Amino acid sequence: MFIEIIDVIISGLINGSVYALMAVGLTLIYGVSKAFNFAYGSFYSMGGYIAFLLFGISFFNNYLIVFCLAAPVLLIFGFFIEKLLVAPLRKRDDWEVKVMMITLGLALFLDNSYQVVFGARMKSLPSILEGSFEMGEFILSYQDVVIFIFSLGGILIFRWFLNNTRTGMSVRAVAQNPAGAQIVGIPKEFVFAATFAISTVMVGMGGILLAQKYFITPAGGWDILVKAWVITAFGGMGSIKGGLYAAFIVGMLEAFVGWYFGMTWTLIALFAVLLTTLAVRPQGLMGKWG
Amino acid sequence: MEHKRITVFLAIIWGVVAILPLFFGSTNFIMHILIMCLIWSVVASCWDLIMGFAGIFSFGQVAFFVIGSYSSAIISARLGVPPVFSVFIAGIFTAGLGVLVGLPCLKLKGAYIALVTFAVHMILEPVLKGDIGRALGTGGARGILTIAPMNIFGYTFTSSDPIPYFYLLFLVAVVCSVIILMVIKSHWGTAFLALKDAEEFASCLGVSAFKYKLMVFALTSFLTGMIGGFYAHYVGMLSTRMLGIDLFVTLMIILVIGGVGKFPGAVIGAFITIAVNEMLSPLGSYRPIILGGLVVVLVLALPDGITGLFEKMFSEKKQGLSH
Repeated sequence: MFIEIIDVIISGLINGSVYALMAVGLTLIYGVSKAFNFAYGSFYSMGGYIAFLLFGISFFNNYLIVFCLAAPVLLIFGFFIEKLLVAPLRKRDDWEVKVMMITLGLALFLDNSYQVVFGARMKSLPSILEGSFEMGEFILSYQDVVIFIFSLGGILIFRWFLNNTRTGMSVRAVAQNPAGAQIVGIPKEFVFAATFAISTVMVGMGGILLAQKYFITPAGGWDILVKAWVITAFGGMGSIKGGLYAAFIVGMLEAFVGWYFGMTWTLIALFAVLLTTLAVRPQGLMGKWG
Repeated sequence: MEHKRITVFLAIIWGVVAILPLFFGSTNFIMHILIMCLIWSVVASCWDLIMGFAGIFSFGQVAFFVIGSYSSAIISARLGVPPVFSVFIAGIFTAGLGVLVGLPCLKLKGAYIALVTFAVHMILEPVLKGDIGRALGTGGARGILTIAPMNIFGYTFTSSDPIPYFYLLFLVAVVCSVIILMVIKSHWGTAFLALKDAEEFASCLGVSAFKYKLMVFALTSFLTGMIGGFYAHYVGMLSTRMLGIDLFVTLMIILVIGGVGKFPGAVIGAFITIAVNEMLSPLGSYRPIILGGLVVVLVLALPDGITGLFEKMFSEKKQGLSH
């Protein structure tokens, strides 16, 4: 019983850390450009499929190389998707609905392209690190530890980027006041595209990390989109700190509900908690209106 | 668009649809597609009313449709209510749920509302498949396989002879679109626009956001649930596959093609989309790719849909005349 609870806590922590990585990406786009990206889950699968392709080539058969190659691909992809699909819509009054629609169309396009190209069967990636740490009944696989460290590392790098680099600071400036940022000479359009690209990288990395545990399927991204969405709304859309807390709360909640009531109840419990939170605090845990 | 032009536009559309069975009546397959067009035109019009006019990003329209169809099937099977009445009971039940979903949405904005309403969609599948659903009679993962066909005054509408059912649904769709038209024309429509454009200012002037938002939730979910009931009694079987993302996106394409907030557009969009969707079906697994690509291209190229295109043509003509 005691060991089981520790297991549940650890799995909650690990899932929470990966959710944090992905929710921070989603909340970033919303916070900076007020656009909601429905294709976010498809970008998650895209990360997994890129890694799967690279692992097919024996020369790249190493996680470090895969990360180094997948990141720029995702970055460029995200940048151009924003420039080509989202940016032209920004001029319109009702661009928020239009962005939701266009990204939903993109998601359908990408998911079914995966299905045609890679087939509907589940794909798996090799484990990043074999073996496990054992102490009596308590087992902790190294794979989980590495996933946890990589996710936290990703968030820390992202934090460093936001606080210490020029691009990161301009991202924060645009998030706080788009008009003011433009007046002092920050290229707003570029920042929008850059945040979209960064969030694509984050969710794609999350996809590679989680693919070793949960497989890659063409429509697997929807689950992730819903979870990232719930987490961002729970933590407050646009609030990165809120998203971080919310991700770990959701990870824990999911682990405990799944262990105690069964996996079918996790989604229901998630939405019940979300609705209660939003009923009391419509702006989420740490969100601000506006 | 002006109200007068909407009315004329709508009359032309329904006039054309009314005579379609003269040409296609002999082919059951095409009649089936036309019936589906009628059903989706109602759902899409409701979605347009709530999203385009009232400005509420409700993503629960498919969920309300499924709730309506399941509840009508269960009510008619379990309680022995004739399908004619069970569709209305299902509509009222769905409207109740719609108000329940609308309540938390009153305090929320934008993408949050989309999330809460989409949550209904996401939860529905585990609920229908799970123990609660099975206890209510949803048949779990298998779905409901036998649903009594629609029956009015002893006359049974069967799917082997679709023309009578087509006209029944035609009547329903016309009534629904007239209701929506009346809502848009009345002070409701003005209140929706005011709340959408400047909520704070509108409520200062005494437009109750609480009342109108709940009303639009109740009305759209009532109509959607009712048409869901008609759908259930037509196809005769239900499963949770309807909750897949394909149907949701199809509905969205209808709105994209028709134009968001351009009312009769959703009706035209429904007919075009469902017909094109059927024509693409020989392409198999490439079809959703094409549909997805189509959405992307259409949103960029035709942001106001076909109705927007018409409007542009009309306004250019007017300008040309005034010169």
